[in-house]
Amino acid sequence: MRLVSKCNFFYLITAIFICSLSVFFIIVTNVIASTPKKELQSSLQSQELLDLKDTGPIVGNNVCLGCHGQPGLTMTIQNGDVLDLYVSPDTYATSIHGQDGYACVQCHTNLGNYPHPTFTATDLRNVTLQLTNVCIRCHSGEYNLTMDSAHAAAQASGIREAAVCTDCHGSHDVHQWTDAVTHKLLPAARLSIPTTCSKCHNAIYQKYATSVHGAALSEESNTDVPTCIDCHGVHNIGNPTTAAFRLKSPELCASCHTNPAIMDKYGISTDVLNTYVSDFHGTTVTLFEKQSPDAPTNKPVCYDCHGIHDISRVDNPQTGIEMQKNLLVRCQVCHPDATSNFPSAWMSHYIPSPEHYSLVYYVNLFYKFFIPLVLGAMVALVGLDVGHSIYARTHGGKPRPKPKPVEVQPSELTETPTKPPQIEHNDEIKNDQSEQREQSERSEQSDQLKLNNQGDQTEQSEHDSEEVNHE
Amino acid sequence: MTSQQKSIPSSPNIHVKLVRTFPRFNVSQRWEHAVFLLCIAILLITGLPQKYNTTVWSQAIISSPDRLNTIQQIHHITALVLSALVLYHLGKAIYLISRRKLPGDMLPTFRDIRDALNTLLYLIYIKKQKPAFGKYNFEQKVTYWFLFFSISIMIISGYVMWFPETITRVLPGGVIPAAIMAHSTEAIVTAIFIVLWHFYHVHFERLNLSIFSGWLNEEDMHTYHSLEYNQLVHEPHSDQDPGDMKS
Repeated sequence: MRLVSKCNFFYLITAIFICSLSVFFIIVTNVIASTPKKELQSSLQSQELLDLKDTGPIVGNNVCLGCHGQPGLTMTIQNGDVLDLYVSPDTYATSIHGQDGYACVQCHTNLGNYPHPTFTATDLRNVTLQLTNVCIRCHSGEYNLTMDSAHAAAQASGIREAAVCTDCHGSHDVHQWTDAVTHKLLPAARLSIPTTCSKCHNAIYQKYATSVHGAALSEESNTDVPTCIDCHGVHNIGNPTTAAFRLKSPELCASCHTNPAIMDKYGISTDVLNTYVSDFHGTTVTLFEKQSPDAPTNKPVCYDCHGIHDISRVDNPQTGIEMQKNLLVRCQVCHPDATSNFPSAWMSHYIPSPEHYSLVYYVNLFYKFFIPLVLGAMVALVGLDVGHSIYARTHGGKPRPKPKPVEVQPSELTETPTKPPQIEHNDEIKNDQSEQREQSERSEQSDQLKLNNQGDQTEQSEHDSEEVNHE
Repeated sequence: MTSQQKSIPSSPNIHVKLVRTFPRFNVSQRWEHAVFLLCIAILLITGLPQKYNTTVWSQAIISSPDRLNTIQQIHHITALVLSALVLYHLGKAIYLISRRKLPGDMLPTFRDIRDALNTLLYLIYIKKQKPAFGKYNFEQKVTYWFLFFSISIMIISGYVMWFPETITRVLPGGVIPAAIMAHSTEAIVTAIFIVLWHFYHVHFERLNLSIFSGWLNEEDMHTYHSLEYNQLVHEPHSDQDPGDMKS
C-alpha cells in the first residue's frame, strides 16, 4: 500500500511540474510572438498615415487646370511620343472623384509645386504604369486583389499591355460602377463591362456579343445575364485555362442557373446542376473538384457542350445542342466513334420520367420495389430461421429437431434402413458411441490416434458426448 | 461406389470410426466457385467506391483521376475474367446437355416451391419437420439462380457502359443511362444477397465448406440432403459425374 501511494505521489508531483512548465512555456512564447506583431502593426499604421499626409502643399484644382485645362498642352517623352497633358475640366467634374471634390494633387502627389519635378518615362505605356501605382493610396483592397490576377502575372512576365487599374476604370473620367450603399454593380456598369474588356479581348467579345447572354445584354439591356466579370472575377481575375478553373466551372454556371429568382423568368430549368452531377461526367468532375482541384480531367464540364463565350440557345436550329446533330459534334470531340444514336445516351438534363427516358425511369422503379422485396424476404427468412434454431435449442432440448444421423458401420452399409431412424434407436446408438468415445479417451491412446474428425463431424460428436456427460 | 471410406489400419484394441464422405462438387465446380468469389470481391471493392463517391471512405480511395483510372482498369480486367468464367460455365452446361449428361439437379422444379412453402410452415412453427431435400435444396437453388440472373444483368449492363459508342450503333442511346442505373443498383442487390442470404446459410446456419473441400460427410448428407443420401446409398448409379475423389 505504501509503495502504491508513494508512486501516486511521485506521479502527482511530476504531473504538476509538467503542467506548470507547459503553462510557463505558453506564456513565454505568447509574449515573444506578440511583441513584434504589435510593433509591426503600429509602425505600418504610422507609415500609412505619413504617406497619406505627404501630399505636399494642397493646391486647388483651379490652379492645376489653369495650365492643364488648356487644350494643346503636351510633353515629349524619351522615345519621342507626345504625352497629352490636357485634362478636360468637365470630364473631371463629372467623374466620381471630381464629384466628391478630390484634389488633383491627391493622386499626383509630387506635382504640388511649380516648376514640377522632372518626369521621366520611356514611352506612353510607361507613363500609365507609373501613374497607376497611386491608386493603392485609397483603393488598397482592390489594388492588392489585382496583384493576384492573371493581368498582374502577365505584367510581371513583361507583357506591358496587360491591364492595370486605369485601363479599365479610366483616369480622369473614373465613373462610379457600384451602388454607394449596397456595393452592388450598377446596371449601367454591367452594360459597359463587356465593351471595357473588349478593348483588349476583342475576338472573345465578338463571340460573346452573339451569344445568348451577350445578345440579351447588348440588344435588350438585360442585366440578368452574366458579363465577363461574373465568370472571370473582377480584380483578381484568374487564368481560366487551368485545370482548377475547369473543375470549378460548373459551380460558376450553377450560381445563376440554380437560382429560381433568375431562371423562372425565362422558364429555364434549375435542375441543370443536379442532373449534371448525377450523371457520371458530372459526378467525376464534382468528385475531383473536391478531392484534387488541380487535377486535369477529360470529363466534360458545362462549357464543353454549351460553348464558352459563344453559348447559344439550346433550341437554336443551327447551333443549339438540343438538336442531336449539333450535340453529336460535341460528343465526337471525346468520343470520335460516336454515331447518331450516341448523343441521346446523355439524358439532356432530364430527370427520368415516363415521358423522358422512360427506360431509365422504369429500371429505377423496378429496383425501388425489388430491393426492399428481396431484402425484406431475406431478412424475414433468415430471422425466422435464427429464431427457430434458438427456440429449438431452448425448448426442444436438442440442437435440431431433425432425425439424427446414424453412424453407419461398414458392415451395415448394405442394409441401412430406408425409413428415417427412430429417435430411441438414435439415442441408443449415440449413447453407445459416446461411451465408446469415453473409453477410448480413458485409454490415453487417443492422442496417438488420428481419427478422421473433420468439420461438423467433430463438433457434433463432441457435442453429443458433452450432453451425455451432463446427463 | 460413390462414397469414400476412410479407415485407419486398426489394431484390435483401438476403436476406429469410419466416416464416409460423399463427393458434392468436382474440381471444376470448386475452381469456378473460387474464381467467382475472387472476381465478385474485387469487383465490389473497386465498384462500390465509384458508386458511393460522395462518402469519405470512397474519396479516400479515389482521391485523384489517376487512382480512379487504376481502379477502373482493375474493375475492367476482373470483369473480363468473370466473363470468361461465365462463358466457361455456360459452355460446360451446353456441352453436358449435348451429351445428355447434365445432372439437372440445379434446375428449379415445382417441388422446390412446395419445399419452400413447407420450410416456411416449419419456420413459423406449424410443421414439426423440415422437408427432405435432394442434392440442392430450394435455398441453394435460389442462391444459384439469383446470382445467375444478377451476374447476367451485371455483365450485359457492364459491357453496355464500357462500349457506349458501339452499342449505340444498334440500340437507342437511352439504354446507356438505363444500363448505368441497372449496373450500380443490381450490384447492391447482389452484394446484399450474398452477404445476407449466402453467408448466413454457409457460415452461420452451419459451416458448410463443401464447395472448397468438394465433399460432404455422411451426417450432413443425411441431415440436409436426405433424399440424395438415400438415393446414393440404395441405388447408386454410375452415369453421374464421378467428381473428384480426393478429399
